Amino acid sequence: MNKIKVLIVDDEHDFAATLAERLCLRSYDARIVVNACETLSLIDKIKPDVVLLDLNLQGISGIEILMTLKNVSPEVEVILLTGHMDIARSIEGLRLDSFHYIFKPFDIRELTEKIDAVTAKHGRKQGNEHA
Amino acid sequence: MKIRRKLLIAFSIYMILALIPAVFAYRELSTLRKRLKPVEAASDITSSYLELRKNEKTFLLLKDRDTLQLLKKQIGMLKGGLDDIESEVLREIGAVNYASLREAITAYETGTLKLAENFNTEQLTINKLTDLGRRIEKVLDGSELQTFLVLRRHEKNLMIQRDSSSMDVFRQTSALIKSSPEADLAAYRTSAEKLFSLYQDEKQLENEIRNSASIIQTYTESILQGERQDIDALLKISMNLLLASLVIVIVIGALINARLAATIAAPIREIRKFAERVAGGDFSKTLEVKGSQEFISLADALNLMAVKLKDTVSSLELAIQNLHDKQGQLVEAEKLASLGRIAAGVAHEINNPLAIINEKAGLMQDLLAISSDFEQKKSITAQIEGITGSVNRCRTITHRLLGFARRMDITIEPMNLNEAIRETIAFLKTDILTKAARLDLNLAEDLPEIRSDKIQLEQVFLNLIKNAVDAVAAGGEITITTSRKDEGAVQVFISDNGSGIPKDKLNHIFEPFFTTKGRDKGTGLGLFVSHAIVRKLGSRIQVQSEVGKGTTFTLDIPIKPTLSKEMTA
Repeated sequence: MNKIKVLIVDDEHDFAATLAERLCLRSYDARIVVNACETLSLIDKIKPDVVLLDLNLQGISGIEILMTLKNVSPEVEVILLTGHMDIARSIEGLRLDSFHYIFKPFDIRELTEKIDAVTAKHGRKQGNEHA
Repeated sequence: MKIRRKLLIAFSIYMILALIPAVFAYRELSTLRKRLKPVEAASDITSSYLELRKNEKTFLLLKDRDTLQLLKKQIGMLKGGLDDIESEVLREIGAVNYASLREAITAYETGTLKLAENFNTEQLTINKLTDLGRRIEKVLDGSELQTFLVLRRHEKNLMIQRDSSSMDVFRQTSALIKSSPEADLAAYRTSAEKLFSLYQDEKQLENEIRNSASIIQTYTESILQGERQDIDALLKISMNLLLASLVIVIVIGALINARLAATIAAPIREIRKFAERVAGGDFSKTLEVKGSQEFISLADALNLMAVKLKDTVSSLELAIQNLHDKQGQLVEAEKLASLGRIAAGVAHEINNPLAIINEKAGLMQDLLAISSDFEQKKSITAQIEGITGSVNRCRTITHRLLGFARRMDITIEPMNLNEAIRETIAFLKTDILTKAARLDLNLAEDLPEIRSDKIQLEQVFLNLIKNAVDAVAAGGEITITTSRKDEGAVQVFISDNGSGIPKDKLNHIFEPFFTTKGRDKGTGLGLFVSHAIVRKLGSRIQVQSEVGKGTTFTLDIPIKPTLSKEMTA
C-alpha cells in the first residue's frame, strides 16, 4: 500500500520541515515547499493526495494558489493551515466544495485524523501508527 | 375692558375737561361784551356832562343864543344817554338816587333857561338905564351934572361889581340929585334897582345851576365807576374760573394718565417677569394678568407658548439623553471592536511562532518515543510535556481572543431559549458530574420564541454555567431559571451557592484578563466575552454576589433585539 503523499506549502521553513519530519515518522510521504512559485509545478510533478497550505505565503497569495489548484487538479484535497480565523471564514464564503482548515497551533493527532478523513473518500487508508 | 376703549374714555374725559373752561370763558366774554355797552354809555354821559359844563362857562360869559342852543342840545343828549341805560343806572345807584339825578338835570335845565331869560331882561334893563342916564345928563348942569356923572360912574361900577356895597354907593349918590326931571330920575333909579335885583337873581340861579351840576357830576361819576367795578369783578371771576378749570384739567388729567399708565404698565411688568422665569427654565407658574382684554389674550397666548416650549424642552432633553446613551453604546461598541482587532492581531502574530514551538516540541516527543532509554530520558520527556502544556494554554488564550473578535459578527434567527440552555448543559454534563453538583432547572415552558444569535447566547450560557460549576464546592447547587420579564423581554437567572465574589472584585469581573480562579484555571476572558456578546445582542447582564453564599447572574434578553448597524458591522 502506498503511503499518503502530503505536500506542505509554508514559507516558514522551520515549521514546515519539523511538521514534515513528524508526518514521516507517522508513515506519511511528506514533502515541503517554501517557495510559493514552485508549488504548482511541484504539485503537478509529485501529484500529492493532500496539500497542507499556509495562507500567509509571501509573494503569492495562498488563496490564489488554492483557486488555481482547485481548477487544475480538483481531485487534490487541500487542508488550510492558518492562524487567521478571518481568512478561513473568507474562504468559507467562496463556497468551495472540498475545503478544510485547521488552526495553528494544532495537535498532530488533529491533523492526521483530518488527513485520514479527507483521503478516505478516495479509497485511501493510511494504517499509520501514532507516535 | 380693552385698552382701546380705555384710551377712548380717557381722551373723552380730557375733551370734556378742556371744554368746561372754554364754555366758561365764552360765557364770561359774552357777558363782558354786553356789559361794555353801558360802560361806554356811562362814559358818553360823563363826557357829555363835561362838555355841558364847558359850554355852561362859555354861556355864563357870552350869554349868547348859540351857546344856549348848544347847551340845550347837550342836556338832551345827557337825558337820552340816561334813558338808554336806565336799567343799569337804576341797578347801579338805586331808584331814589336816579330820581334825584333826573331832578337835578331838570333843575339844571330850568335854571339855565331862567338864566337865559334873566340875561335878556338884564340886557333890556341895562339899555333902559343907559338911555335914561344919557337923557338925564342932557338936562342937568353945574354941580348936579358933576354928581350925576359920578353916579354914572357908580352905575358902571355896579354893572362890573354887581355887589350890594356898589349898590349902596349908587343909592347914596343918587339921593344927592334933586334937580332933574322927576320921572326920568325915578325910572333911572328903578331900573338900577331892577338891574341889581337881576344881578342878585343871576347869582342865585348860577348857584342853583352849579349845585345841580355838582349833583349830576356825582351821579354820573358813580355810574361810570360802578360800571367799571362791575367789569372788573366780571374779569376777576373769569380769570379765577379759568385758573380753577386749568388746575382741575391738569390734576384730573394727570390722575387719569397715571391710572391709565398703571393699568398698562402693571401687566407688562408681570409679562416681563414671566418671560424671565421661562428664560430661566422655570415653567412652574402660569402667567395671570388682570386688566385689559388685550393683555388677558396675550397672557393666554404666552401661557400656551410656555406649555409648548416646555414640551419641546423636555422632548429635547429626552432626545439628548437618548443621544448620550446611543453615543455611550457606540463608544462601547467601538471600544470592543478595536479591542477585537488588537486581540486578533496579537493572536495571529503569536499563533505562527507558537505552532513552530509546538511542532518542535512534538518532534522531540516523537524522537524520544522511538529512542532507546538513556539516563535523562524521563526528565527530558517531562520537560517537553511542560513545553507542550504551556503551548496549549497559549493556544486557548489566542483562540479565545480570536473567538472574541469573531463574535463581533451576529446572526439573528428565531430561537428557543430553553432549548439553547439545555444544549449548553448537555455540553457541560461531564464537568457537572465531576463536581457532583446538583443542577435545578426551572425553565418556563410558555416562554415565547425570541430572535437572537443562538450560538453566541450558548457561548454566554456556557461561560456562566462553567463559572458556576467552578465556583461551587463538591456537591454544590446550581439553579437555572427562565421567565418572562415583561412584554418585550425574557430573563435567565444562573445561580450557584458557591464561594461568591468579594465586593471589591465584583466591579472588575467583566474586565478582560480578570480572573478569580487562579492563573492555571482561567484566562480572564470568559465574562469579558460574555459581557461583550450580551451588549451586542441588546441584552443586559447583572451580577449579585455574597461571599460564602453564592452568586447570581441575571440576563435580560429582548424578544426582538434592537441592534444598530454600527453594532452588527
